[in-house]
Amino acid sequence: MSAIPSEAGSLTRPGLGWPLILLGSALVVFVCLFPFVWMGVSSIKELRELYTIPPHWWPENPTLANYEKVIFQSNIPRYFLNSIIISVGSTGLALILAIFAANGFARFRFRGQAFWQSCVLVGQLLPTAAIIVPLFITLRVLGLVNTYWGLIMVYMIITLPLSVWMLTSYFRAIPIELEEAAIVDGASRLRILFAITLPLSLPGIMAVLVYAFITTWNEFIFALCFATDSSVKTLPIGLAEFSTEFNTDWGAVMAASMVMTVPIALLFLIFQKHFVGGLTAGATKG
Amino acid sequence: MRSNAGLVFALPALVVLFMLIAYPVVYTGWLSVTDDQGNLVGLKNFSAVLRPRVTTQALWNTLWWVAGSIVFQVLLGVATAILLNQNFPGRALVRSVALVPWIIPGIVAATTWAWMFHTEFGIINYMMTGVGILPEPIGWLTRGDTVLPAMIAINVWKLFPFVAIMVLAALQSIPNDLYEAARMDGANYWGEIRHVMLPQIRPVVTAVTLLLVIWGLNAITIIYAITRGGPANRTLITPIQIFRLAFEAVEFNQAAALSVLFFAVVMVVVFVYIRLLADRAGEGT
Amino acid sequence: MNAQTRTGLLALALLAGAASLPAKAGEVTWWAPNWGEARARELVQKFQAANPGITVKIEVTVSNGLPERVLTAMRSGAGPDVIEVQHGWVNGYAQNDLVLPLDDTLQDKADYQKSALDYVTWNGKAWAVPYRIETHGIIYNKDHFKEAGLDPDKPIETWDGLVAAAKALTKSGRSGFGITGGGEVGNTIFRSLPFIWMAGGDILSADQKQVLINKPEAVKAVTFYTDFYKQGLAPKSTLENDGLSLRRLFVAGTVSAYQSGQFDLPAIAKENPKLSLGAMPIPHPEGKQTAAILGGWSYVIPKAAKNPAEAKKLIQFLSTAENQAFYTDTFPARISSLKAERFQDPMLKPFATMLPYGRPVPAHKNWVKMVQAYFDGIQRILLGEQTVQKSMDQVAEEITALL
Repeated sequence: MSAIPSEAGSLTRPGLGWPLILLGSALVVFVCLFPFVWMGVSSIKELRELYTIPPHWWPENPTLANYEKVIFQSNIPRYFLNSIIISVGSTGLALILAIFAANGFARFRFRGQAFWQSCVLVGQLLPTAAIIVPLFITLRVLGLVNTYWGLIMVYMIITLPLSVWMLTSYFRAIPIELEEAAIVDGASRLRILFAITLPLSLPGIMAVLVYAFITTWNEFIFALCFATDSSVKTLPIGLAEFSTEFNTDWGAVMAASMVMTVPIALLFLIFQKHFVGGLTAGATKG
Repeated sequence: MRSNAGLVFALPALVVLFMLIAYPVVYTGWLSVTDDQGNLVGLKNFSAVLRPRVTTQALWNTLWWVAGSIVFQVLLGVATAILLNQNFPGRALVRSVALVPWIIPGIVAATTWAWMFHTEFGIINYMMTGVGILPEPIGWLTRGDTVLPAMIAINVWKLFPFVAIMVLAALQSIPNDLYEAARMDGANYWGEIRHVMLPQIRPVVTAVTLLLVIWGLNAITIIYAITRGGPANRTLITPIQIFRLAFEAVEFNQAAALSVLFFAVVMVVVFVYIRLLADRAGEGT
Repeated sequence: MNAQTRTGLLALALLAGAASLPAKAGEVTWWAPNWGEARARELVQKFQAANPGITVKIEVTVSNGLPERVLTAMRSGAGPDVIEVQHGWVNGYAQNDLVLPLDDTLQDKADYQKSALDYVTWNGKAWAVPYRIETHGIIYNKDHFKEAGLDPDKPIETWDGLVAAAKALTKSGRSGFGITGGGEVGNTIFRSLPFIWMAGGDILSADQKQVLINKPEAVKAVTFYTDFYKQGLAPKSTLENDGLSLRRLFVAGTVSAYQSGQFDLPAIAKENPKLSLGAMPIPHPEGKQTAAILGGWSYVIPKAAKNPAEAKKLIQFLSTAENQAFYTDTFPARISSLKAERFQDPMLKPFATMLPYGRPVPAHKNWVKMVQAYFDGIQRILLGEQTVQKSMDQVAEEITALL
């Protein structure tokens, strides 16, 4: 990976201007964080303070009781583990399949290409309500109900189409000359894919990875129907378990949501420096 | 490069998808032309779902919902991506923060917003009446003219980070020499946006838009969790209608019929879109 | 390139090879909701001790998405052996041939509240065994009653009395009587349909051939219900409120009285211990009787159950008078179970008084669509789009199309 920081090149480039950047960032942070902060505040409120009119901005007696409940007295930790296994599994599998497929669609011309490419989308065109029963039957035939593999496979329907499509457009954006040069040098298609295309489209792969992970992390209805045993249930089901027929332990739901959300945001914070394209680093400057 | 090697590359993904989807597609098609005893009934289910006037209303709502959501998701998403592509201290933090709406589980986001929009408990009314923007609380979710826009706003909030991340990735992949060429032509930053960034991210934006259309057509979590399609069907969109038919009314055959119609319409949209997309891609190479 | 094809095939083979877990003989899988999990586990221990050779596996369900999950499992033929479902869902399952008839499982029929059995009966057969029933009553804030000059210990008996009380209670930012107009359909059906019954009306005639919802009795009751909002006696947020939101407004002290079941009482006491709680039966029109929809839960055995014989044994064990009294969250479906100590709380008395007036909703194939049409009609009235008569005329037209 030629991950030379892009700063060197961008110093001389014109920019948006400080006032705009500041204003824009402030706006983004406010819009994105406002409901989130409200959730955070709710998670440290006592039960009786959750529903007051007018609402309280800050709790009178901030408490960590909800977090204690979520971490020590609920199934959330176990479901967290399940969610990680399932999300990592399905993201990884989707990414591998999508990289090959996108390479095929972006770099080759073959008969029926548009047809096959639209075929990839078919799974997303049918409403969930329509496919859930037959999908269950498919899983049962494959013996995958109540297994990690079951959910990992089912999530392919959700993550693969987007991953294939997005990667195809990222791959297409890479100047074909680079690859043609390599072909002249006698490199195989696979080597070109791994040595040239992938490193150059690292930001695209990151983006797809983030997408697949977040989507599977939050999926509810498939997980609810296909994972009925607590050994495979995922976090969104854990959230629902704080609700009973006529009641919702709102503070606990909020605390659990924080537990679900914050680690992912932090993970992205750590990895976001890879959101730098090889080409911006000057690969073609030669 | 014309060879079947491309198809071979795509094959594993196609096989996996085929294995999962083939049966559901066939099953839905079969259900749509049979009754609950499994007898063929022709197009009876189709006429049954097309008759109620609520079907038309749902269709219009769906159009508004999808169009309204996408316009703002794409505009805000692209603007945010351009911002996050800038170099400034704290950028990493802002990037992570921008991801937050997308990470929050849909059902939790929906309930939190429902709570914030609530006429009486809602922090939004409390704030706005507090600083004097509103003379009195507005029933955001109870008024016929504000409820769908409110749903769209929540949906935009939830998914514009997705657009931003996808476009940011495309921006990051723009070769430096393109910028250099633009600079030699004397372009300022806005010129760069217009002549370098926007053309370069166009394929990604096109793909993202298509996916957003498909999602928008399938997204029920937000609306179902907050209004269930009400009041008086003001926020009823077709996928919710299908959901109601299948799981509330136990009319799987009619739900299948509506799904097939829905599928056909979306298929046409996708096909037209891909044609346009393919033509443009053709220009490029 | 072949390598990729091979990888794909390998993945396929792996998947196909993953063995499905065979159902063990004598193992009963029971889908129990999360709110009763602890008690369910206790009962299972007793059952297994009494029935060696049968093991019971509990899989916990949650209320969010439960109907979808149950239907998906039943329709795909992969259901468990025993499922707890709401009475109102049973008919749909029976008519779609998804559950087994349980006449041979149901014991001491005479000991059950008749309306509970009616609920799960279709085509002359019982398709579920009810174990839990409840109805709404009115929950009110005694302090608010005192402040409004009303006697907090004297229950309101008539509709006129309720309206007068609501008017007296509505002041200084409080709403006298909260109604629902949002959320899931059931919330508003449970709260408004009994008024129609009390007034002598109904949605359908008893023979299910005639639509009665736009007849004067029904219109009178719908007017009575929606007027609480129209006259400003119910909260401004009515159109977005379900039962839970009403309870929260009640806890926050801005709603003085509302209809709900006894299940709200412990929650209110926990969320606002200072609130002085009262409960009473639902008022009726002068000279008529009160009414309520019977709610609650039953056990069903899906048609695809692997061990129906053992499942029936489990249900019979769970349905003894003693175990019903122990397991229910509200009231037991058996009359003799009501004698148990836990139901003697005076706060529960008004709700227990309502039980004999509880009725099932009709078993019509299109009932869910009909109440949806009715609910949309109520929302149109609350939105101010249509008059009550006009709205109910439209509802009648839509329901007629569903007959």
